[in-house]
Amino acid sequence: MPLLEVNDLRTHFFTGDGVVRAVDGVSFTVEPGRTLGIVGESGCGKSVTALSIMRLLPEPPARIVTGSIRFDGRELTTLSERELEDVRGRQIAMIFQDPMTALNPTLTIGTQITEVLERHLGIEGEAARRRAAELLDEVGISRARERLDDYPHRFSGGMRQRVMIAIAIACEPGLLIADEPTTALDVTVQAQVLDLLDDLRRERGMAMILITHNMGVVAESAEEVAVMYAGQIVEQAPALELFARPEHPYTEALLAALPDLDDKRARERRLEAIPGRPPDLIDPPVGCRFAARCPYAGCGDSCAQAPQPLRELRPTHWVRSAHPASKRAAEEALSA
Amino acid sequence: MAAYIIRRVIWTVPVVLLVILVTFLLMRQIEGNPFRKTERAVPAAVQENLERKFKLDKPWYVQYAQYVKGVVTLDLGPSLVLRDRSVNDIVKEQFPRSIELGLYAFGWAVLFGVPAGIVAALRPNSRFDYGAMLFSNVGFALPNFLVATLLIYYVSLKWGLLPTSGWESWKHKLLPSLTLGLVPMAYFARLVRGTMLETLQADYVRTAKAKGLRWRRVVGVHVLRNSLIPVVTAAAPLLGYIITGSFIVENIFAVPGIGRYYVTAVSARDYSVVMGLTVLLSIIVILANLLVDVLYGILDPRTREART
Amino acid sequence: MSAAPLPIPAGVSGVSAGAPIRQSSLWQDAWRRYLRNRGAVLAGGIFLLIVGYCIIAPIVSPHDPNRVHFPDAYQGPSWSHPFGTDQFGRDLFTRTALGGRISIGIGFGATLAILAIGVVYGAVSGFVGGKLDNAMMRFLDALYGLPYLPFAILALAIIGTVNFWTMVVALSIASWFITARVVRGQILTLKENDYVRAAHAVGLRSYAILSRHLLPNTLGILVITIFLELPGVILGEAFLSFLGLGINPPDASWGSMAQDGRDAYRAHPHLIVIPSLAIATLVLCANFVADGLRDALDPRTRET
Repeated sequence: MPLLEVNDLRTHFFTGDGVVRAVDGVSFTVEPGRTLGIVGESGCGKSVTALSIMRLLPEPPARIVTGSIRFDGRELTTLSERELEDVRGRQIAMIFQDPMTALNPTLTIGTQITEVLERHLGIEGEAARRRAAELLDEVGISRARERLDDYPHRFSGGMRQRVMIAIAIACEPGLLIADEPTTALDVTVQAQVLDLLDDLRRERGMAMILITHNMGVVAESAEEVAVMYAGQIVEQAPALELFARPEHPYTEALLAALPDLDDKRARERRLEAIPGRPPDLIDPPVGCRFAARCPYAGCGDSCAQAPQPLRELRPTHWVRSAHPASKRAAEEALSA
Repeated sequence: MAAYIIRRVIWTVPVVLLVILVTFLLMRQIEGNPFRKTERAVPAAVQENLERKFKLDKPWYVQYAQYVKGVVTLDLGPSLVLRDRSVNDIVKEQFPRSIELGLYAFGWAVLFGVPAGIVAALRPNSRFDYGAMLFSNVGFALPNFLVATLLIYYVSLKWGLLPTSGWESWKHKLLPSLTLGLVPMAYFARLVRGTMLETLQADYVRTAKAKGLRWRRVVGVHVLRNSLIPVVTAAAPLLGYIITGSFIVENIFAVPGIGRYYVTAVSARDYSVVMGLTVLLSIIVILANLLVDVLYGILDPRTREART
Repeated sequence: MSAAPLPIPAGVSGVSAGAPIRQSSLWQDAWRRYLRNRGAVLAGGIFLLIVGYCIIAPIVSPHDPNRVHFPDAYQGPSWSHPFGTDQFGRDLFTRTALGGRISIGIGFGATLAILAIGVVYGAVSGFVGGKLDNAMMRFLDALYGLPYLPFAILALAIIGTVNFWTMVVALSIASWFITARVVRGQILTLKENDYVRAAHAVGLRSYAILSRHLLPNTLGILVITIFLELPGVILGEAFLSFLGLGINPPDASWGSMAQDGRDAYRAHPHLIVIPSLAIATLVLCANFVADGLRDALDPRTRET
């Protein structure tokens, strides 16, 4: 049974300018112990999806309009706040993008770890401190015991993120949601943090949702990948399959946009950017949301007028497009 | 941290001296000031006292030094008008009452203003929030002499519940302190609400929630601690208001304190007293600022290690 | 992965549903945001209304504000005297307007003076920087919170006479500290802001940077500061006059009118209530306008 089942999740923001349909029909599952990577550009709704799972969005103006989120068989969208407090940090944990502001500057690191242990596992006092030191050690912070009494400002960005990870795994959650965990870090530190997450995950058999806009990160760490665009998932497949045989024009464009350092000719060419901008989510297009930027839109069909459902093109490979690569290849072959 | 405190303290000294200097120089411009061999009729005994005290035949900087020495030794000179009393006597008698008034006013402000701000922030845009903010805005705008007059009119005269003036029992102290505390109350409510709303949006509060901590703990430990720090630093300008407000409140409620006496002294041209009181009040404010800065350094771990 | 570059897609721009968000200039944006704040708009309207009343009412009023006529004394509000009459039988509606001219006049005068002093001090401190800035700011820090009333009283005593202009001077001398600090802070932020550096990098001359980037931002802050300082100054004048140390007859300000009404408040509360409410309303409106302006000009303020 899947650990996490998200079904037709729609999270909308009710603002003075209109209703922003940030997440508009997202479905996916996460199996125990596996990593799902969610990729997309800024504003596509990946963070909102993650925050919706944990119900961490401010209820006005945000609201989960419809959809189901089942964790370990339990429906999360109907839980009361008190019940959610028992789930958060204990069954599902989350780490955030900016380690510089994610920790309380006026509390010691030790306190910020032990309060989780006290809250969920009932471990207090000296026992809690010992466990906290062990956790810090596990995430690679040296002299863990002494550093318990330090304040966050004495830690670098990378180290703060490690502390966040320590806090997150403290209660052995079944699922860890990492929202752009390495975006604010230096490249070398990025690799270390990703490796750390990988190791911890494997040791504990923990599932992970890794959210990022960086294809490289996803290629490195995820087993399954979902590509999001304008509030919807447009392609989903196992990682190797996605990189080997991408179907959606957007995915192709994302991969094409990666700088290619090996091919000499590629190094001399300009970087491939995707022209245009994502649609306004207050008034999203009726049809395919990528149509305005898609090189294949309007090729003899009305994909810009009709909404595209997510179709299982091949086993485990889902695409939301009227012009998946395999279909285009077949058409070319026919006309040749 | 210690370095920070020491630096702050050291800087206070020249500032105090400067304030005394400015006041001193200003005073010398006034007709009938205590530092001139005077044209006005001052009782002979007082005149002798003045000359002795302030060395009136010496150049102005010597007079200034003499006065500073007086301040340091807590001797502010004789009153120009009341023959047998010195400024010190007046201060000793009236000042404690003003302190009391100020403390009570501050107490009201903290007692009502801070919780109001907290609740308003936890229930934004609710009726309580709008009500509290409306009350706060009105509190700022209403001149305290109006509030005082209305309170006296209704509470004292119409309903006969409390006396209209004086400072003997708690009944006398209630209305004036409440009147004086109104603006600080409004200020705290607004400030606390503002800082809390800001803090509630902070990333680390989201982290705390993501950890599954009980909301009570998130607010009580994570939010409040960070929200109340700015409140401490706001205490300094409040002191300025309390002093200013006391001039009016003591006047209306006939509280025999420094605020009322300052006005009396100005009208009576007892400039020795005026000078002494101005210097005294300034020093208090400057010291309060110092205290607040030090407190801030203690409360916020980040400043402890900051360089200059 | 395809090796050929992707063809430029058709219809990149101009798809109506799903078009990207439109842009507008800073001022238009701010004005729009301000207008959305109904409280601030209302307050601004009332503010203008009061100012208008103060200017116009004495001109069109049938009553002579200085005419003493005891039989008319102490009347309550009525059709011929919307605000009633005072102890000398003078029409309060007219006198309140006249008092408003003085109170508001002193208010604006002192506020502008505070702005001038503050801008000079803050600008010098901000631009020169270094040790001078340090010293100037330490000086301000220590003076922060000094009560203005004793110093304003002292200033008036030194000047000797009390009239409109001396009040302006006294009040502004005693209250410029906060504005100076705000201005200096603004100048520092702007001096070291990334977009100033970017402008330098692109090759803009200092003058261009000043006029195109620094000034518009600073103007916004200054306008807000006007509406923040105004209430304080108006109340300050009212306090001084109430204590008898301010405006004297035959001139009247709202504060002195309140003082006049003080003795008779038991029987005739309207004498003190009316000028006090006038002060309160003006102060309240100024506060709301200041808040509205602040929200409108700072694009980062969240709407809760």
